[in-house]
Amino acid sequence: MTREAADRADDELVILGIETSCDETAAAVVVGGRRVLSSVVSSQVDLHARFGGVVPEIASRAHVELLTPVVAEAMLSAGVEATDLDAVACTVGPGLVGALLVGVSTAKALAMVWDVPFVAVNHLEAHLHAAFLEEPDLQLPAVVLMVSGGHTMLIHWEAEGRYRLLGQTLDDAAGEAFDKVARFLGLGYPGGPAIDLLAMEGDPTAIAFPRAMMSSGYDFSFSGVKTSVVNHVRKNPEVATADVAASFQEAVVDVLVTKARRAAAEVGAKALCIGGGVAANSQLRERLLSACVDDGLQAFLPSRAMCTDNAAMVAAAGWYRLRADGPSPLDLGAEPNLRLPVA
Amino acid sequence: MLILAIDTATTQVGCAIGGHEGVLASAHSSRGKRHAETLTPAIDFIRRQARIDLSEISVVAVDLGPGLFTGLRVGIASAKAIAHALRVPMIGVNSLDLVAFPVRFTNRLIVAVLDARRGEVYYAFYRQVPGGVQRLADATVGSPDDLASEIIARGEECLLVGDGALRYADAFAGLSKVETCERGLAYPTATALVQLAHARALREDWVNPWELQPIYLRAPDAEINWTTRDGG
Ligand SMILES: [Zn+2]
Repeated sequence: MTREAADRADDELVILGIETSCDETAAAVVVGGRRVLSSVVSSQVDLHARFGGVVPEIASRAHVELLTPVVAEAMLSAGVEATDLDAVACTVGPGLVGALLVGVSTAKALAMVWDVPFVAVNHLEAHLHAAFLEEPDLQLPAVVLMVSGGHTMLIHWEAEGRYRLLGQTLDDAAGEAFDKVARFLGLGYPGGPAIDLLAMEGDPTAIAFPRAMMSSGYDFSFSGVKTSVVNHVRKNPEVATADVAASFQEAVVDVLVTKARRAAAEVGAKALCIGGGVAANSQLRERLLSACVDDGLQAFLPSRAMCTDNAAMVAAAGWYRLRADGPSPLDLGAEPNLRLPVA
Repeated sequence: MLILAIDTATTQVGCAIGGHEGVLASAHSSRGKRHAETLTPAIDFIRRQARIDLSEISVVAVDLGPGLFTGLRVGIASAKAIAHALRVPMIGVNSLDLVAFPVRFTNRLIVAVLDARRGEVYYAFYRQVPGGVQRLADATVGSPDDLASEIIARGEECLLVGDGALRYADAFAGLSKVETCERGLAYPTATALVQLAHARALREDWVNPWELQPIYLRAPDAEINWTTRDGG
């Protein structure tokens, strides 16, 4: 089953992307790193909900069961056959090692049988490339605020493939803080959407929760605000939960937006982007958008589907890596602690 | 008919290609646990050694466990992907069956024992039948002492085989009429898998990739804690 060497132009390369780094089993087909033919995401959120967070062993088991059908569906709905593919790209890290290994093993096996390149993708770089799927004219340099259950980072995206980490969280990730506060308030899991929804009925100025390290540097800390929420509710058991949710969200968003804005000004960015699951937060989106208008920056707020884990962004990043570095070797494994490649 | 066999259920990684002519090529490695790094290049190597194109494979066989979860999934995910890409059926075989099969030429009761970590073993009892072995009951997980008691209760001459029997040799040392096989037979092998799968393939006793399920024998810890917290 050998195939002729692809002499397609770069922008016609057809890439199958695979993503299994956490609790979403996903596959997608993307052309030229920009045009999404299909993007299938099978969320395991219901499997993990009763545990209040992602359980690695449960996630890995579900990936084994779901991944092949998800790949089949992605190719079917894209209307592509194996012979149409130019590469198989897959997230190799960072993420949960057992979960990553299911995707990596599957991707390498498919690439071997179909005789196309296997391309290892960094999950964080994939989140950044999600931007190009919806905004092909995104201007670099940009500042990216990457906020999810696992990460809180401020990145200076200098040029394609060139990144500089400006700051990150010193304790909890922003999404983690949302999950913990939601659990404490009895709002269930995942916490982000639950707090977002309830906050709409509350007063964001009702309680002045602390904004840690607001005026210094680009690092973040969210464990203090989480503790303040717990203390405040214990001292004032009659407080309206909606006000707590709104005030907590306001404190987190305030810090995120203030720092992102300051970073954009300092590095002379043309655009400000957000990525990661917390980027779906409506208050964060609204505040960033108005900050960009005030500062004359191009704002890039990916759709909610593109903020959360998906494989279209993996295929997009894989397209870039294939052209930049060529195929990855088949003896690669998972790299759970992978960092953003710094040029 | 050519079978690609994949086994990553223990600390060992193995793959083999074979059929009615026996095994055409195989690779086994038992250093370390990095199954994902080893497996794909090993398959690529054996298909070159066997001088076949992967499109000539007509069945993908895989060790379903019980075994070490992470390694197990590397093999099963790879096997499912290959079967899916080639559009061929699959055969799943229990890891303990694979350990018992090579010692089938004995009248003694065969006990396959694999290390399950956390002070436990996966085990099952077998008896020789024409052409192979027959499992007497479903495989279970338990302490080496549980197994020792079962062996005593059966009161028969036993042959123990598998890395679990070696690791917990102390638990079986005092038992009479019990012998343990040496390290060379301690792991399931992809070559045994080719043989066992071939017999089943001839009967067309196979499944589609999406029907194949790993044999874990243990619920995830979170599930166990959850059930305990709820009072069972
Ligand atoms: Zn992510």
